[in-house]
Amino acid sequence: MQTIEWGFLIVNYLFLGGLSAGLFFVSALATYLQEDGEPAYPRIAKYGAMMAPWPVALGSFLLIFDLGNWYRFYKLFIVFKWQSPMSIGSWLLLVFTGITFLGFWAWLPEETRHRLFAFLPKRLAFLKRFDVSIDAWKRPLAMAGFPFSIGVGIYTGVLLGAVQARPFWNTNLVAQMFLFSAFSTGTAALILALSANRKELDFRQLRFLYTLDICFITIEFFIVLPYLIHGKLSVLAVQEALKLILGGPYTLTFWLFFMLAGLLLPLFIELWEMAPAFFQKATIHHNKPLASIAAALVLLGGYLLRYVFVYAGQISAFK
Amino acid sequence: MADTKKKRYALVLDSKKCINCKACVVACKAENGVPVGKFRDWITEERRGTWPRLMATFDPEQCEHCANPSCVRVCPTGASWQRADGIVLVNYDDCIGCRYCMIACPYNARYFREDLGVVDKCTLCAHRVDKGGIPACVETCPSKVRVFGDLEDPSSDVSQLLNTRRFLVKKPETGNGPQLYYLL
Amino acid sequence: MEGNRIDRRKFLQVTAAGAAATALVTQTGCLKYFEKGGGAPAPAPLVVPTACELCPNKCSVLAVVEGGVIRKLNPNPENPKSRGMLCARGNAAVKQVYDPDRLKQPLIRAGERGEGKWRAASWDEAWDYTAKKLSEIKQKYGPEGTLWASTEGFQEIFFRNLGSAFGSPNIVRHPTLCLASVNLAYSATFGTVPSFDLLNAEYVIMSGANRFESIITPDTMDLIGSAMNRKTKLVYLDPRFTVTASKADHWYPIRPGTDMAFILAMLNVIIGEGRYDKEFVATYTTGFDKLSDHVRQYTPDWAEKETEIPARDIVHIAREFADAAPRAVYYAGRRSSWYKNDFQMRRAQAILNAVVGNWDREGGMVPNAKIAMGEYLFLPWDDPKAARVDELDKNFPLAAKGDGVYLKLRENVLAGKPYPVKGWMVYKQDPMNALPDQGMTLKMIQQMDFVGVIDIGMSDTAWYADVVFPESAYLERTDPVEAMPGIWPAVVFRQQVVKPVHDTKPNLEIVQGLAKRLNLSDYFDYTMDQWVDAQAKDLPVDNPLAYLKKHGVLGIAEPKFGGTLKPDHRFVTKSGKIELFSERLQESGFDALPVYKPPVQPPAGRFRMVLGRKGYFTHANQTNNPWLNEFYPENDLSINPQPAQNLGIKTGDMLEVSSGAGTVRLKARVTEEIRPDCVFMLHGYGKKSKWQKLVYGVGASDAVVLETAWDEVSGNAAFHETFVNVRKA
Repeated sequence: MQTIEWGFLIVNYLFLGGLSAGLFFVSALATYLQEDGEPAYPRIAKYGAMMAPWPVALGSFLLIFDLGNWYRFYKLFIVFKWQSPMSIGSWLLLVFTGITFLGFWAWLPEETRHRLFAFLPKRLAFLKRFDVSIDAWKRPLAMAGFPFSIGVGIYTGVLLGAVQARPFWNTNLVAQMFLFSAFSTGTAALILALSANRKELDFRQLRFLYTLDICFITIEFFIVLPYLIHGKLSVLAVQEALKLILGGPYTLTFWLFFMLAGLLLPLFIELWEMAPAFFQKATIHHNKPLASIAAALVLLGGYLLRYVFVYAGQISAFK
Repeated sequence: MADTKKKRYALVLDSKKCINCKACVVACKAENGVPVGKFRDWITEERRGTWPRLMATFDPEQCEHCANPSCVRVCPTGASWQRADGIVLVNYDDCIGCRYCMIACPYNARYFREDLGVVDKCTLCAHRVDKGGIPACVETCPSKVRVFGDLEDPSSDVSQLLNTRRFLVKKPETGNGPQLYYLL
Repeated sequence: MEGNRIDRRKFLQVTAAGAAATALVTQTGCLKYFEKGGGAPAPAPLVVPTACELCPNKCSVLAVVEGGVIRKLNPNPENPKSRGMLCARGNAAVKQVYDPDRLKQPLIRAGERGEGKWRAASWDEAWDYTAKKLSEIKQKYGPEGTLWASTEGFQEIFFRNLGSAFGSPNIVRHPTLCLASVNLAYSATFGTVPSFDLLNAEYVIMSGANRFESIITPDTMDLIGSAMNRKTKLVYLDPRFTVTASKADHWYPIRPGTDMAFILAMLNVIIGEGRYDKEFVATYTTGFDKLSDHVRQYTPDWAEKETEIPARDIVHIAREFADAAPRAVYYAGRRSSWYKNDFQMRRAQAILNAVVGNWDREGGMVPNAKIAMGEYLFLPWDDPKAARVDELDKNFPLAAKGDGVYLKLRENVLAGKPYPVKGWMVYKQDPMNALPDQGMTLKMIQQMDFVGVIDIGMSDTAWYADVVFPESAYLERTDPVEAMPGIWPAVVFRQQVVKPVHDTKPNLEIVQGLAKRLNLSDYFDYTMDQWVDAQAKDLPVDNPLAYLKKHGVLGIAEPKFGGTLKPDHRFVTKSGKIELFSERLQESGFDALPVYKPPVQPPAGRFRMVLGRKGYFTHANQTNNPWLNEFYPENDLSINPQPAQNLGIKTGDMLEVSSGAGTVRLKARVTEEIRPDCVFMLHGYGKKSKWQKLVYGVGASDAVVLETAWDEVSGNAAFHETFVNVRKA
């Protein structure tokens, strides 16, 4: 009996995991690229590193509670089944989450760190020995974290793509689709974070983010397009599965809310923002509300992409 | 249990004779404590036509104990595993209830047990088979649709049927190598 | 400070390592062993052979008991009739024992009838009260003022005997709601009701008798194998496209009620073309010339107009049928409660079977063989003084005396003629659902001074009773040995598998409790063991009782054919021959040969309601069994898309279905699998008993909407004569 087993908890986790992967990746890039021995885009690096752990931590909690026996989740970490995307993904997630928390710690301002440790109760006072700066680890962490953030961003797609029983998923492109969507959502979240800042708007760093996001969305678009075209030209089961978004119940969500509102509209807004820089080498427009809208749309689009894939995939089948 | 001869259990189904009486479904439920609303085996109906040119056929279905089970491959803890004789089982103690295997099964043969928080499915009544018996569904069928046996044994009923009759398997295109053979 | 740090680091490292080690260890064996309660092996399960009670087939079952609980029912391969299988409901019988909503103790009504207010009573109280009421009725109206209604079962005889010993002539059973007409028709022709050798037949024609869907019998199993292996050709007539239709070589959606036309046309062809078995007819039958003259008028062309079956096909089938004889049968079926002409239609069948000479031959119709058995000789009582209230002798002179004619009986009781009946005892029966026109049944209940029901679950009839006696389920009792005559005769034994789970008793003990208080103990002063002993001791096997307890069944696997095919064999008919023309019928004022009268068809805009069964439900029973209910949780009205479209009906729409008897509401199921002029609904839903939680108020009861009609010769109910109005609710 075909049932929908993975629901909103899983959709949320896929989105949150991807979001963290994107946040970390962009932050790591911003750290790794150096100007005069310092991270080239310090604000991006800092915001990214400090935001990165929380979505994936929340997502992981949701994931664990979705299990039939949540307290058995540790069993994921006593074996390594290389053929199971979920096994690989669990390990990746473990390491990645660790790295993001270390990253958070590395970028946490000294003052704030001292204040946080001041909250420790007397009995746990011995933990104060951890109130040290790991400032020096910033760049090494970024470099170490690159492969894991890519891993986390891509494996959620592999998770779905490896299931040959679900023709909606079983394509080579799903992994990349999710990866670039993840990076795009991370970038968008950073755009929002930078735009929310009441201090001077840092056009230079915003430009970096726009450039990244334009790249990511474009690549994503050119992954979704072949996915659709190849799918329509594929075996019958895949053609039938695609009907779910070509006339079926998920059509509106996919085309209006994901493609249009979640991909193309933000792309055009960002291109418009960047237009002066392309043509005149002048600085970018910065329409704060517009930027925030674009970023929010990207986040919405990223969420809905996963929503459509998780549900439509579980409905699709070989007859 | 130290039987060194290689075995490969399978089911051959002469579903022309299936009359959708549900005996196998209830026998399995009784034998294996399957909760109401969940099914380890079921009858798939195909009905076509307009009055009075009509057809109806019935195919029993259950876990196919595949040669290449994707449910075993995707299980992150190894709870889903396959015996040397082909029977695919779930070790309740190791199952964390992630339900990845349910999604990976092209035949939708698995179900989730809310009471235990684990995934379950047809076991080919391994507990009966290991004592020399046959699965409950095979034993109870009034029309004698089902034949159970060892494909590695050329003298078994299943081997002889497959060697002398046309048959098909369901959804071969998924590459799982299903071991339920439907006689044509 | 440095020293401290190093120590603490080491401490953390050691603890971490220790934790990991513990985790590893807990996963590999030790704790798992304790979790699974490893150590002591479980005791071996007990296997008890018994016989199923969920339908009349009485298949043999091996009950597996573990820890005092029935774990599983497995087929017993030793029963030649059940062929080593157990059907869906057979497997589901476990749920009957452990049903939380079954009757657990005697109940006495505390509110109005049907209100559902019950008072738990002790057995003494229930017996005392019942005996008191029955005695009061006997005082005022005579013992004939009580009605004793029951359905066949191994312990039914005790209930019937109680009624008879009480002095009442009004014993009524289920045959006139089911198979009285077919039995009478074959008896009138052959003097007995034969079985059909579908294992060896090569050509089988079935009118209805949906063997692949409505019930699993040996005929089902034999026929599916031989039909699908192309040894047998199956021709099937039914207004619905049933599972049997899907397996048949030829299915004809015959116009309802016209099967007789088809059969008479076949006779016309077979006799007209000389394809009948001349030697057989000459040797064993009487009345052939009259038959031959009679069927001349029933040509295939004429039959085509009546049945909507092409004349060409009728001719073709008739020829193939005759050529395949004697391995050709027109299957009689079991439930013959269809039309008002059913008796004569089955008579035509019997005659057709006779003229092709398939009697007592392999692949044909075979008179039942029996295994000789003893019987317990109990004290006999005087015959009742009063005549039956359904006035059988006057109204249905040929009907089986001991069974009564249920619908005529109800009619008379409601009218209070020829005398009042004020007490109604019911065993193993649900008249509220078994009889058509539930409104009338309710009136009959309300007319009673007393209604007592013996049942396992709270049926709709029990719901309206004054006293309910809980019978133990079949798995909780030992019953009399039962003979199963047939081509492969057997004797089956039902023995207690588990002690009664609740405060229930087997029927014999319930009857004995009543008998004691009615001063009838002398007629019931035996135990079940004594009864069984007396039956078993004559069985043709060593240590018969021990054999039965060990095997559960004694069967004869080798059938015998031709025992009656001796020229001097005397059939149990008036002439001593197979009666193609029946003088007995003529004398009683009925057609001696089947005369076709076109059935009334539904008026424009109305539909004929036809009935049928599903093999996993037993009539109105078992729809509340959770393992079976999940296959069909709610009944619906099957209607063809053409009329559905005209009425604006889609699948799932709530409909109002009404007739002269009543109105029901149930959902529509628009399906191609039924004639446009018919509608169909499954039996056993829309219950009024709140204890049947799965079907209480779910769907609808066909009994509410079926009108009362019966066959004039046998008195058998005619359930397919109701024309209903259907509209969206």
